[in-house]
Amino acid sequence: MSQLQARFFTENKKYAIDDVPFSIPAASEVADLSNVINKLLEARIADHKHVEFDFLVRGQFLRSSLASHMDTENISTEEVVEIEYVQKFTAPQPEECIMHDDWISSVEADSEWILTGSYDKTARIWSLEGKAVMTMAGHTDVVKDVAWVKRDGLSSLLLTASLDQTVLLWEWNSEQNKVKARHCCRGHAGSVDTIVVDPSRTKFCSGSWDKMLKIWSAVPTEEEDEVEEPNRPRKKQKTEQLGLTRTPLMTLSGHNEAVSAVLWTDAEELCSASWDHTIRLWDVETGEQKSMLTGSKVFNCISYSPLCRRLASGSTDRHVRLWDPRSKDGSLVLLSLTSHTGWVTAVRWSPSNQHQLVSGSFDNIVKLWDIRSCKAPLYDLAAHEDRVLCADWTDSGLILSGGADNKLYTYRYSAYVSDAGA
Amino acid sequence: EDLSGFSRICSPQRGKLDKTAGTSSIEIMDVELGYSLQPVSLIALLPHAHFLLHSLSPSSCLAMCSQDIRNTVGNIPMEWYKDYPHIGYDLDGKKIFKPIRTKDELDEFLDKMENPDYWRTVHNKMTGTDLRLSDEQVDLVHRLQQGKFGDVNFNEYEPAIDFFSSEVMIHPVTNRPEDKRSFIPSLIEKEKVGKLVHAIKMGWIKPRRPKETAPKYYDLWAQEDLNTVLGRHKMHIPAPKMRLPGHEESYNPPPEYLLTEEEKLAWEQQDPEDRRVSFLPQKYSCLRAVPAFSRFIHERFERCLDLYLCPRQRKMRVNVNPEDLIPKLPKPKDLQPFPTTQSLVYRGHTSLVRSISVSPSGQWLVSGSDDCTVRFWEVSTARCLKTVEVSGAVKSVAWSPNPAVCLVAISYGETIVLLNPGLGDKFICSATDQLISSYEEPEESKEQSVQWTIAEGSDHEHGQRLILKHPKAVRQVTWHGKGDYLACVMPDDNSSLQVVIHQVSKRRTQNPFRKSKGMVQCVSFHPIRPYFFVATQRYVRVYNLIKQELTKKLMANCKWISSMAVHPGGDNVICGSYDCRLAWFDLDLSTKPYKMLRHHKKALRGVAYHKHYPLFASGSDDGSVIVCHGMVYNDLLQNPLIVPVKVLKGHTITHDLGVLDVAFHPSQPWVFSSGADGTVRLFT
Repeated sequence: MSQLQARFFTENKKYAIDDVPFSIPAASEVADLSNVINKLLEARIADHKHVEFDFLVRGQFLRSSLASHMDTENISTEEVVEIEYVQKFTAPQPEECIMHDDWISSVEADSEWILTGSYDKTARIWSLEGKAVMTMAGHTDVVKDVAWVKRDGLSSLLLTASLDQTVLLWEWNSEQNKVKARHCCRGHAGSVDTIVVDPSRTKFCSGSWDKMLKIWSAVPTEEEDEVEEPNRPRKKQKTEQLGLTRTPLMTLSGHNEAVSAVLWTDAEELCSASWDHTIRLWDVETGEQKSMLTGSKVFNCISYSPLCRRLASGSTDRHVRLWDPRSKDGSLVLLSLTSHTGWVTAVRWSPSNQHQLVSGSFDNIVKLWDIRSCKAPLYDLAAHEDRVLCADWTDSGLILSGGADNKLYTYRYSAYVSDAGA
Repeated sequence: EDLSGFSRICSPQRGKLDKTAGTSSIEIMDVELGYSLQPVSLIALLPHAHFLLHSLSPSSCLAMCSQDIRNTVGNIPMEWYKDYPHIGYDLDGKKIFKPIRTKDELDEFLDKMENPDYWRTVHNKMTGTDLRLSDEQVDLVHRLQQGKFGDVNFNEYEPAIDFFSSEVMIHPVTNRPEDKRSFIPSLIEKEKVGKLVHAIKMGWIKPRRPKETAPKYYDLWAQEDLNTVLGRHKMHIPAPKMRLPGHEESYNPPPEYLLTEEEKLAWEQQDPEDRRVSFLPQKYSCLRAVPAFSRFIHERFERCLDLYLCPRQRKMRVNVNPEDLIPKLPKPKDLQPFPTTQSLVYRGHTSLVRSISVSPSGQWLVSGSDDCTVRFWEVSTARCLKTVEVSGAVKSVAWSPNPAVCLVAISYGETIVLLNPGLGDKFICSATDQLISSYEEPEESKEQSVQWTIAEGSDHEHGQRLILKHPKAVRQVTWHGKGDYLACVMPDDNSSLQVVIHQVSKRRTQNPFRKSKGMVQCVSFHPIRPYFFVATQRYVRVYNLIKQELTKKLMANCKWISSMAVHPGGDNVICGSYDCRLAWFDLDLSTKPYKMLRHHKKALRGVAYHKHYPLFASGSDDGSVIVCHGMVYNDLLQNPLIVPVKVLKGHTITHDLGVLDVAFHPSQPWVFSSGADGTVRLFT
């Protein structure tokens, strides 16, 4: 068998070619096929520049020769093969390396600023160019998670969660470059490992080692919540605390072990992952558990993509798993992405592409995945010298990762222009 | 008078005589018959009777002799008078003196040789004199011996009339008419029968049980099962066939079968049992010249003997596939979860890490090292959150299992420090500090072997709360499950103060053992019951702390126990030893190990059970941690299932030391190991 009948198509009108079957050598690989397409395009369009393409056979990226791929995927070679081609993703370009004083536990970036939490008990704000803008020192222990709440012009609200069992709500004025701790959210009895702000930007949820999820208001006020803490020697210290004390609006309990990650899937639904090997979905209105996904390993992180409605989870084995949170029956795990060699500690869906996600692991590597090619990642970003602890992906196409080597790396990832809207 | 006296004395004796040999009874009968006829001769006869019946008991002899009316002592054993000069008393009450007997053995012998009348001389014990029997008396004795009547003239065959004979006579012997009473029913009988009838009615008398008429002869094989018969036939082993005669046995064998002279000589010198053939092949010119086979009977006999003595036993040969003999163990894949890969390395120590312990919440890990530091790690990220320096190599660390307090016991040198690391819930940490500071000294303080002091100054800032000074170097500390009692080991060869138990809440120290039973290696509390395990070099002793007695003594079958762990259920114990073995004891089963595992190549240093999962792990000097599935069933009939599932490697061997301690995560199936390379590793 040396020739195959193949028909090429694409969703990108710019690179469309005639819808006719071609006879191509079975041993041809991605580069050969790309050349074929380029030749065809040159014949069609006079001023065509060479473009590298990637090919998908029945939704799977071609990574070997066409014949072997079809053999492993069990696709008949008798019929005409439908091959989709897309512009090849360019590798993420490393941009900045921002040095910290200590391990970076968390990172969250928006279009202008990067917010990082560190093991030196501070949270920092950086510009996208890697310039240190602000340092927020207020926690008495390691900062575990950070989150932007919202930005009203020059003043921004942000959150930091710490091992000292509190979450601090800060107000930062970017013009005066002043920061003020507005509220100190207390109530957890263990280190607060994760916080997430809801889509309406008025509430946030925190998950803690004490197995609880707590929902708090994210709106700064001038009033202090009454704390029912009789006989606690904390009263005296209260004056020394930063910000006004705030108590939770709601507590969700149900996990049997520490909560490691939490997120809002939509305005009324929370999703939390825990060390008890479960992912639970909660109704925020009633505070009840809606459903539960059970895994076999401790979950370290989860991420949800509203584009493809999938959950991605990283656990203490080397797999990234994709879940359908809506499915009630059958196999809950849709896909396992296996390439890491250590615990997966960070996973983040692309905000713009429904197929792509990024994962960071204790094997020092950040991997960029396309779920259409589940055998191997698209790119390995091997910049870190120690364990990767956090990763983020901004709307503007910036991938950030921080790790135990005290470095925060940023990568510019411009997905091909054509496919961006897909 | 003579006669009556004789019969009076003699009659009770008859019974006795009858019981003895038959011949003597006949002779007595003769005597009785004799005396009725001829009393005079009887007097003379009696000594002979004694003579004849010398084999009877002496009393019976004397009974006969009591005819001698001169002696009135009666029928007593005459040896009672042995030591007296007299032999009895006569009718007048005078002593009868023994006749003077000067004969000794030699005289007796000479008398026997020379005296022609010796054979008819009889010794009369009653008078102590010798009596020579006259000819008539001898004759009488002979007659009696022959079974004849004593009287020569008595004819026992006198003609007699047979009154009662088999013939029926026309005239009865008596012609008396029948009594009247034989026609009248007897009243006495009626009364008797009435009583019997009443007794039968009342059930006092039961009818005789009918005799079971077992047939005297019966068919032995009537009940036999046909199958067993057939089976026996099947089991029949035919007698081995004799070898058929060959050329050697031929009367005219080919010359090569004939033995040469030397061979013959050798054959003759051989032991008959060693000979290859039991005969010499011989050549005869014709069959007629062959002599009779002299050894025929002998050979037949030997053949029969062979057949008889040959053990007829059917050896059942079982064809077993050796693979079938291996017990069916489940595949490790089916026993998940268990740690399989190394996930995290906790680096920071600069010397060997002797001991590790995980906090009850599973969030923190504490490790003690020879570089005189104790480090606190965040389990999930391998972050060292805290380092506490002490003034000696840390031998043992133990996190208090009570989740309501935050205390870590650290032993270095002769000191145990109770340290509040300040990790976890802030309220719990402050409550712990409060608890310790709120302690009040009791009124009467006893003299204790251990000094309790409160840490102050910089030590207090580092988290140290209580410092316990011991008289000797402390090797191990371990908490009771409730977190109030703390046991520590100070190994010493013969000292009674090897194990002490501290009570933290009362700051009291107890020495539970008065006597040393060998060098204590490690101790452990029972997780549920008030038992205490003490491992010496070869034994594990289980003490009941409430009754204060030894409950069990487990024999480890190894040379030197290094470590011990108690199953959370409390009925199983594992012991690691320096001679590469791991012994699993089932306390309900035996005091000997239920299983010995010899998977490690070098000495074991640490063993641990998981709290929830059926897992246990052992760390060894060969640098590996072996994780085994150890399922303990609630069912008492089912023995624990032990399957080695994984060998975890990671530690580098430094100074011939590999893994020094292992500990399981309290909630996840993860195992931590600390090694001589200064690292702690987490396997998940």
